[in-house]
Amino acid sequence: MHHLTLPEAIAGTISVALLLVQLALLRSLVLAELITLYAVQSLFVALISLAVGITERSWELIVLAVLTFGAKVIILPLYMRRLSRDISTRVEIPESINVTLSLILAAAIMGTAILTAGALPLKTGEFLPQADLATTLAIVFVGFLVAILRPNALAQVIAFLTIENGLYFGTVTLAPGLPFVVGILLLIDVLIAVVVFAVLVRILVSQEASASVDVLQQLKG
Amino acid sequence: MSILDGFIVGLPAAAAAASLIVPSRLARPLTACAGLATAACILVAVFQTSHHRGDHDALSALFLLPVAIVYGAVGLYAHWYVVAESPDDAAGETFRREFLALTNAFAFVEVVVPLVTNVPGMWVALEATTIVAALLVRLQGTPAALEAAWKYILIASCGLALGLVAVIVLYAAGERALGTHYSPEWSSYVHLARQLNPDGVRLAFIFALIGFGTKMGLAPMHTWLPDAHGAGPTPTSAMLSGVVLSDAAYVILRFAAIADAALGPTVVQRMFIGVGLLSLFVAAFFLLQQSDIKRMLAYSSIEHMGIVAIGFGFGAPLAVAGALLHVVNHSASKSLAFFAAGRMAARYETREIAGITGSVDALPISGTLFVAAALSLAGLPPFGIFRSELMILTAGFGSPFWIVAAFVLVLLVVAFAGITRWVTATTVGDAPMSVEHGEHAVLPIVGMGLGFCVVLGLGIGVPLALQTLLADASVLIGTTP
Repeated sequence: MHHLTLPEAIAGTISVALLLVQLALLRSLVLAELITLYAVQSLFVALISLAVGITERSWELIVLAVLTFGAKVIILPLYMRRLSRDISTRVEIPESINVTLSLILAAAIMGTAILTAGALPLKTGEFLPQADLATTLAIVFVGFLVAILRPNALAQVIAFLTIENGLYFGTVTLAPGLPFVVGILLLIDVLIAVVVFAVLVRILVSQEASASVDVLQQLKG
Repeated sequence: MSILDGFIVGLPAAAAAASLIVPSRLARPLTACAGLATAACILVAVFQTSHHRGDHDALSALFLLPVAIVYGAVGLYAHWYVVAESPDDAAGETFRREFLALTNAFAFVEVVVPLVTNVPGMWVALEATTIVAALLVRLQGTPAALEAAWKYILIASCGLALGLVAVIVLYAAGERALGTHYSPEWSSYVHLARQLNPDGVRLAFIFALIGFGTKMGLAPMHTWLPDAHGAGPTPTSAMLSGVVLSDAAYVILRFAAIADAALGPTVVQRMFIGVGLLSLFVAAFFLLQQSDIKRMLAYSSIEHMGIVAIGFGFGAPLAVAGALLHVVNHSASKSLAFFAAGRMAARYETREIAGITGSVDALPISGTLFVAAALSLAGLPPFGIFRSELMILTAGFGSPFWIVAAFVLVLLVVAFAGITRWVTATTVGDAPMSVEHGEHAVLPIVGMGLGFCVVLGLGIGVPLALQTLLADASVLIGTTP
């Protein structure tokens, strides 16, 4: 019987936590809560980077864990809080799909992602600890669902950021050897993307006095 | 990195930085010069590669060509465009400087994609094109531009997220052959393809095709494309359609080359044909019912990216060479079409096809060039696209996929009908008296003239250096006999 090593156990526990936070994103309809959820999820991601960094004796991952903590747990959530101060704090939801239904959808997507990753003809022990791939895919796809079902600019930005958290989790657990510079570039990339998103949110707010992207419905066909 | 590469990357970057500092009356000629100089450097680099000198492979060199063609002309075109599109006051000056800086920065990130030799680096460069493009698209400040920018950055970033999954899975697939800590270079993957984990490679290719396919505008992930191309500034539309789509195609091809070497060609071919046919199908029918001239050109981009994917799917050397040539032809024809359409839209003060009549009468040169570019896009001889489509179809009919080739031919006829219908509607006849007559600008005409030389020239004959590159690049991608 295969005994879990400590990093495997930590990765397993944190995957479950990440998935629960991802589901909670659909449950909550207040922007401030969404931002907190993102900060919590980022904390878990920083923790896993730290855990893998310590067990693999890779100082790069430890540095990335610290940077992740600084950027995604502290700076970005604070920044988004400031951004959300001027706008309505409640996230509207489409009438056809209420919270319960969206949670059921998300659960179905997660199930599919986990089953798909499990059913992939990947020979075990060769590469890709399968549960980690499943978690990465589940986070990414539920992130897409959040972006689709929440017609609010900031909620969509948070969806994008959680998708990126899922990808970071995937990078750390599936490809811990990926060069340090890549991790840094990814982090910078996220920061720049958020700034651009913020620019667009500001224009949107100044034009419409809300961050609802419902007004963005002209371009069709 | 050679000195030449330094210029290719450094010129647009320096022009971007300078445009932020100097007033726009200096930044305009500066951008034009940077565009032309970069294009010249790229041509030298491409020529070197075709003679097996320099440090790029044929595929990188080939995908530098769209940058040379489009950025070379964009500089000249933007010289007129920024003045025509902005009021002569402080706000207008801000717009001009921001636009020129972002346009040069856009060219910089676009040219980096084919030059980077490692996989994650290229992903970062591609994501950077998304960010800069979104900033450019929202620049006009209209609600439609804002909506297009928002959709673009959200959809493209989500697509690139899947692309990053592909990068990670590919890295994991190589750990057995290359060790747990290695530098993920394209060349090492291809060399050791047989030792990579085949299931991992297959998974990586699927994610790459969906993820980077979003950036390439392949259906069903194309929904951002008509909005961003339609609502963005015209030079941006030309650079998005002419270069970013081909950059994304380049990345997919690199993944395809690895998958091809690791798994054999069948998987890759079938997937290319699937998405290619769907894109062609969607685009052909949307082309028939457009009312906006730039959106029409956007759907034509989806059509041509579909043809490129199908060419790679056929897999024969002639088809792959044809598809690669098609990428270059499409960049030239599409950017020319956008430039001319932008001139027409500015003169008639509308992008609605119904509002533009007799543009050849009002704008004798731009209107005529629009007709030429549109006929080229519709696939008529003697233009370049006719040649590359013929190469792809000839190879297709000689392959086991001849039914697909027949289907492609039918869809091309539908697309042809759509394009010619709108071209005749906008160009033929007399212009209304209320519309000013005459060109009144030299540099955009020069830029478009250069583009036209490529559109026509590649139809008349393919230079020897380019033929060598096409053959070498086809070998790199891997073809089936």
